Formats: sequence, structure tokens, C-alpha cells
Amino acid sequence: MSDPEKDRNPGRGELTPEERAAFQRRVDGLGARLDRAKAAHDTGPQGGDALRGRGMAYGFRMSSELVAAILVGGLIGYGLDRWLGSTPWLFLVFFVLGFAAGVLNLLRAYRQMQGEIAARTGGNLGKSVPDDDD
Amino acid sequence: MPDPIHQFEIHKLIPLNLFGVDVSFTNSSLFMLVAVLLSAGLLIYAMRGGSLVPTRLQSTAEIGYEFIANMVRDSAGEQAMKFFPLIFTLFAFIFTCNMLGMIPGAFTVTSHIIVTAALALLVFATVLIVGFAKNGLHFLKLFVPEGVPIVILPLVVLIEVISFFSRPVSHSVRLFANMLAGHITLKVFGGFVVMLLGAGGFAALSPLPLLMAIALTALEVLVAFLQAYVFTMLTCMYLNDALHPGH
Repeated sequence: MSDPEKDRNPGRGELTPEERAAFQRRVDGLGARLDRAKAAHDTGPQGGDALRGRGMAYGFRMSSELVAAILVGGLIGYGLDRWLGSTPWLFLVFFVLGFAAGVLNLLRAYRQMQGEIAARTGGNLGKSVPDDDD
Repeated sequence: MPDPIHQFEIHKLIPLNLFGVDVSFTNSSLFMLVAVLLSAGLLIYAMRGGSLVPTRLQSTAEIGYEFIANMVRDSAGEQAMKFFPLIFTLFAFIFTCNMLGMIPGAFTVTSHIIVTAALALLVFATVLIVGFAKNGLHFLKLFVPEGVPIVILPLVVLIEVISFFSRPVSHSVRLFANMLAGHITLKVFGGFVVMLLGAGGFAALSPLPLLMAIALTALEVLVAFLQAYVFTMLTCMYLNDALHPGH
């Protein structure tokens, strides 16, 4: 602060052209590195094993929802039949009801997954492709 | 060929008999205990400093907390944070058990349906108790969707009831079947390598199943995490039904 030589200099705090160029190079280099890191991050969790694992988890969830409901429906019907001695009518009715409950489960699971994916991608479920309306 | 089911056998380590009930300490109990001690110990050790600038381990623990806390808030609302300890414990336990199972020679606790069923029934019972305690008989509205004509209402209610009772079944079967199937597949491919090595000229083919086993191991690690995530996620959704029925 007390250096009179520097205080008189109007260009104080500014950089020499060489320093400016070096700084610009560093900024550009940082930008390029950021872009590279972002690209790696964007494709990273989406591709390959991660996607396959997630797909398998979704598929397995769907099938187990359906099978579980049919199983429970059938078991309830079978139990009621044993209790009331109405074999096999209640089993048949509840088997079908179980199937309906399974489809209901599927629809709910689907809606929930859709919401989850929409939340993750910001409502953009696919790539936007220009079409005739554009 | 080595028996792929052998890894799921339960052995008694310390035979115990309480009032005629077999409560022996088995290899399954041992790995459950290890999972509990490991998950709790790691978290307590990670948070021992509680420093403002976290260490690597503390940072990991905090990420885990944030991950589950966000999941609970997003899918069951702010009220559900009361159940955060239960949900986080479930996630930590299942995830640790699944991961312990990935160690060669270790026992996979979650590949037994009795364990996953007990966990799913715990969630089911919690949902029932919380639902009736919070909403009283209004909780039954869960089974009566709005805007359904009175004529088919009994049918719809029956279907909803079956759907509700199918939850613990699918909840437990999914985790158990995923872990069981994954470990059997791994063992079978590992068995192929050994069989091919012992089959003279065919030994040249043995790297193929080995590559498959390596790829499957990577996939299994992912499945171990994803299934723990899915189990926790569904727990949150079921709790959401208990806290806000009629949505």
C-alpha cells in the first residue's frame, strides 16, 4: 500500500499481456476439463451395467407384483374353500380376483416408476426429435 | 459339478434349545450379527469426530443419510421422517447383508425367504399399526377408491384387499429371489470353469465362463445395492399409504 512507485502506476492491479495470455490459457484449459468431466458424468451412470441392472430391477418388480397378487388371491380362495367346503368355486373366483389385483399392482408400479423417471429427467422422458410440427 | 445350492445351507454353530424351541446360533445368525455390527460400527466410527469439514468416511456416511432422507421425504412426505430410523436401519441392514454375501465363501442372509419375509412383515405390521393409529377407521378408505359406482364397489374392494395383502409377498419374494438367483448363477458359471478345466482339450474354453462370472459379479454388486434400494423405496411408499390414505 505504501509503495509510491506502485501507487503512481495507472495500470496497477492489471496484468501484463503475457500474464493475461497465460491466464486465458488456464481458463480455457479448465473449461475443456470441465466439459470432459461433465460428458463422462452424463454417460457414466446411464450406460452398460447400470442401465441393465436397473432394467432388471424394474422387470423383476413388475413380475413379482403380478405373481404375488395371483398367489395371494389363490391362497385366500383355497383357504375359504377348505373352511366353507365349497371346493373349488371360491378358489376359482379369488384366483381371477387375484389376477385383477395383480394388474392393478402393475399399473400402480408403472405409474410410480414413470413418476420416478420423470422426476429424474425433469419431465423429459425421451430425446426431443424435430418433426413435421416444428 | 459342485452343488450350487450348498452355499445356502444352514449349519448350527452353537446348538441352543430354549423351552423346546430350537434357537441355535447358526451361520445365518452369525452373518446377521456381523452385518449389524459392521453397519452400526462403521457409521458410528465414521461420525465419531462429527467435524464440520468431513473426512472421507464421514462424507460417505453423510451421503448415505442424505440419500435415504431424500427418499423418505420425496415418497412419503415430511411426516414420515419420524420413521427415518426404521427405514435407514432396514436399508443399512439389507445392503450390508447383500454386500457381505458378495464375499466368496460368505453366507447370504437375504437369500433365505424367512429373513426377507420377516423384514417385509415388520414393514407390513408397521403400516397397519401406524395406519390405524393415525387415521382410525379412515385407514380403511385405502380399500375404497373414490368415484366407483356402488354396483361394482364390493368387487373393487375385494381386489384392493387382495392387492394390499400381496404387498408383503412381493416385497419379500423380490429381494430373496434376486439374491438366490444371482448367487446360483454365479456358482453355476464358476462350476463350469472347474468342469472345463478338468475336461482335457476343452480346457481351452474355460476362460469363457470365467469372463461371464466376472461380468455377473459386477452385475450382482449392482443388484445387491438396487434391491436394498427397492426394498427401502417400497417401504416408504407403503408408509405413505399409512400416513395419507385415500390418495
